[in-house]
Amino acid sequence: MKIMEARPYVVEKLKYALNPRSIAVVGASRYPSKVGNKVVYELQKWGYKGKIYPVNPRADTVLGLKAYHTLRDIEGEVDLVFVAVPAHLVFSIVRDAVAIKAKVLVIATSAFKEIGRGELQNDITSYCREHELPLIGPNLVGLGSPYEHFNCGFIPYLPVPGPVAMISQSGANLLAALGTSQEEHLGMSFFVGLGNKADVDFSEFVEYADRDPHTKCLAIYIEGLDSPEAFVKACQKASKPIVVIKVGGSKIGVKAAFAHTASENPESDGYYDAIIKEAGAIRATTWQEFLDLALALGLEPPLRGENVVLITNGGGAGLLSCDHFERLGMPLRELKDISPLLAQKIRAYMPMFGSPLNPVDISGTASVIQYRGAFQQALRDPKVDAVLGAICPTAVTDVLGVAKAAAEVYASTRDLAKPFLMICQGGAECREAIRYLRDHGIAAYPTAEQAVNAMVALRRAKHGAAS
Amino acid sequence: MSKLYKIGTPEQQEYLRAYNFAPKGYAFLEPGIIGSDAKEFVAFNIAKSFYQVYPEVFNLAQVEKATGIKPAEAKKRLKRLYDEKMIMLVKNSCVGIMGFGLYYWVVKLTPNATPEERKEITDFFQNNDQICTGYPMLRGGDFDFFNGNHMRNLDNLIYGVLDKFRSKPYVEYVHLCPVRRLIRESSVNQFDAKEGFRHYFFGADEAKKAASLKRGMDEKDFAIIEALNNSPTVAELFDYRVLSELSGLKADEMREDLVKAVDHDKGVIPMIYLNYRALGLHQRFYLVSLFENTPTWRSEEIADELAKDGRFVNFFDFADAHHNYMLSVYDELVDTSEIRERLLSYGEVKEVKEALSERQFRRWTARLDSENGLYEECIFTDDVLLDRSQEDR
Repeated sequence: MKIMEARPYVVEKLKYALNPRSIAVVGASRYPSKVGNKVVYELQKWGYKGKIYPVNPRADTVLGLKAYHTLRDIEGEVDLVFVAVPAHLVFSIVRDAVAIKAKVLVIATSAFKEIGRGELQNDITSYCREHELPLIGPNLVGLGSPYEHFNCGFIPYLPVPGPVAMISQSGANLLAALGTSQEEHLGMSFFVGLGNKADVDFSEFVEYADRDPHTKCLAIYIEGLDSPEAFVKACQKASKPIVVIKVGGSKIGVKAAFAHTASENPESDGYYDAIIKEAGAIRATTWQEFLDLALALGLEPPLRGENVVLITNGGGAGLLSCDHFERLGMPLRELKDISPLLAQKIRAYMPMFGSPLNPVDISGTASVIQYRGAFQQALRDPKVDAVLGAICPTAVTDVLGVAKAAAEVYASTRDLAKPFLMICQGGAECREAIRYLRDHGIAAYPTAEQAVNAMVALRRAKHGAAS
Repeated sequence: MSKLYKIGTPEQQEYLRAYNFAPKGYAFLEPGIIGSDAKEFVAFNIAKSFYQVYPEVFNLAQVEKATGIKPAEAKKRLKRLYDEKMIMLVKNSCVGIMGFGLYYWVVKLTPNATPEERKEITDFFQNNDQICTGYPMLRGGDFDFFNGNHMRNLDNLIYGVLDKFRSKPYVEYVHLCPVRRLIRESSVNQFDAKEGFRHYFFGADEAKKAASLKRGMDEKDFAIIEALNNSPTVAELFDYRVLSELSGLKADEMREDLVKAVDHDKGVIPMIYLNYRALGLHQRFYLVSLFENTPTWRSEEIADELAKDGRFVNFFDFADAHHNYMLSVYDELVDTSEIRERLLSYGEVKEVKEALSERQFRRWTARLDSENGLYEECIFTDDVLLDRSQEDR
């Protein structure tokens, strides 16, 4: 339901959604194959420290915990009520949640507006608003935070801790992002599925994420915007960069988005372009681009100028990058034009057949020592705004050694607040290097174009709230 | 004159006219079929999820009208009966129109089967989620288990269930008994009863006898259950105002939908089940085999005659099996020698085997084993999507 701006009581209470002291899981089943059982199981498995109250009218214990027949039977205070029961049972549970003064309500249940039960969804939402009980969902997969060891939903794993707040209307894509996080070390501060977002809106999570100390960047997957005014206002107020992917713009996608999360998209795709632009967010077109930009915006400082130096041991990666920079309207400049002194000094780190142009090709024989020196020189040069390093795994390249050297250099130059991105295109050793670099705060990618997209986003993203 | 079956929706009737056989197979694609979570069945689903805490989902006014018991008292009694695991709100689906086959099977262990072997197979039946229901028998009877599955794929029953145990040395035989007519179940007349659809056969006489045993239910308790199970139409089973308050859905619409699904389409029967184990009652089962040269019409005629007898708690009529009927009575409430005599009074009856059961494993998808903390845990295995013959290979 529409709001005109983020509501302070909602934003204030979202801390109970992502760092609750106690959780009641309504629909907690005794059977391990059932989703209601999994919610409790995953909370326990990932080390949630707060109190868990399984609620099931038929059970006395669930996974070794005392079960309660109703929410009203719980003796302690309940911060978060997580609902995993069929839709026709939800309203009664919502009333109980209000009665016990729960702080936040999360409804995972499907079969509301998306199947034609809009009236029921609206009635529940109005009731929650009347009682200032923020409702997240319905029709969502869950939420959590790796910093709090908190995995609440039908979610098999937590992401690795990191800077990206992942706010997604789609559960499947949220799970995909969490899987990517595990595999490719895309670190997250928290994640939440919003589903039908009957009550709590994107704008409120934007405000919450802006206050969250672990979050450096917001990544938002949108199927429909019910409250564009609130969204724009919250994003404009935010001091952290925001990347958005908006889907459901194709002819059949409009219908699919309604069937999925009851999202209505009466406007053209151009309308959303304008909204996102007005909000000061960056719009990604593909899922991969969305994740890539989120990673860079989360890990790296803003790019303050366009003097980017590309240092590589392979000409191919350099050429792919040059072309893509130009395509994106931010062409590379020759090194001598950026810093004549650096163009001279950098020769010390390459053989005589190397090229100090830009890309700086330190050749396929480059050692860890040569990489380290080139990176250091480039980052320390006051005329250079950012460095993009590339590793091609030749027979003599110590890929992980170069990654370690890059991480050391970056750590020692962090106070310069210059972006340092890496391309590692190759096989298993490159994937390992990418994970290592990401773990050490460097946005690293398997292809040149991904890294260039990220670098350009660092230049174009809004950093700091609109004045 | 051939019997005109009127079960199912008008679409199904149309289908029958066109194809001359009842739709079976992939249930949810058949005409007129509704899923168990469909809107049309939402009243039952709300009641099923709330009656443990809010017994007022039942039509307590109807109870008062039929018994004189005030709603407050009826509510208290229903709550206690659930808490003491004596009752459960359940539903029976009409497998014939849902596209399932209903397959019961009788298991006989060898005389020298040890208590450990008996326990092993009992636990297997209790914990196998593909087995929908089952009655373990006390040692010393003519057979040892009577279990049942509603399945859409017979191979899955053979590979996924029967093959897992029937070659064990302590198993003497397994007789598969496909159900031709589901006549009575838990004292309630089912879809294939000739008359009295939904009628509940546990009247004042049975209640008086059962109450005199002092096993936790008195005559008023039994009267409440009878009033609900024998509500004039299924619409009178629930209080739709309460269901609406709990769910936020429209009372009138829920009522109309349920009446259509049950009273009109006869696709499903909601009912209150008496857990005879908690009541300390036993069911005596009679496995009846007719002579092989008995024609089907006669077999069905006998079945219809026997079905008039309200003492039978369960009545299954089989086809293509060694046996023809399985019937049961409450051992403590009837004169069992009279039952046996009645069965043997038919010249067509070749043999009657007997066994005594003190409990049921599951009530279709709902578990009954409160000792494992799983009372009313509902498990549903949708076998149509699976190929059990490819498992464990």
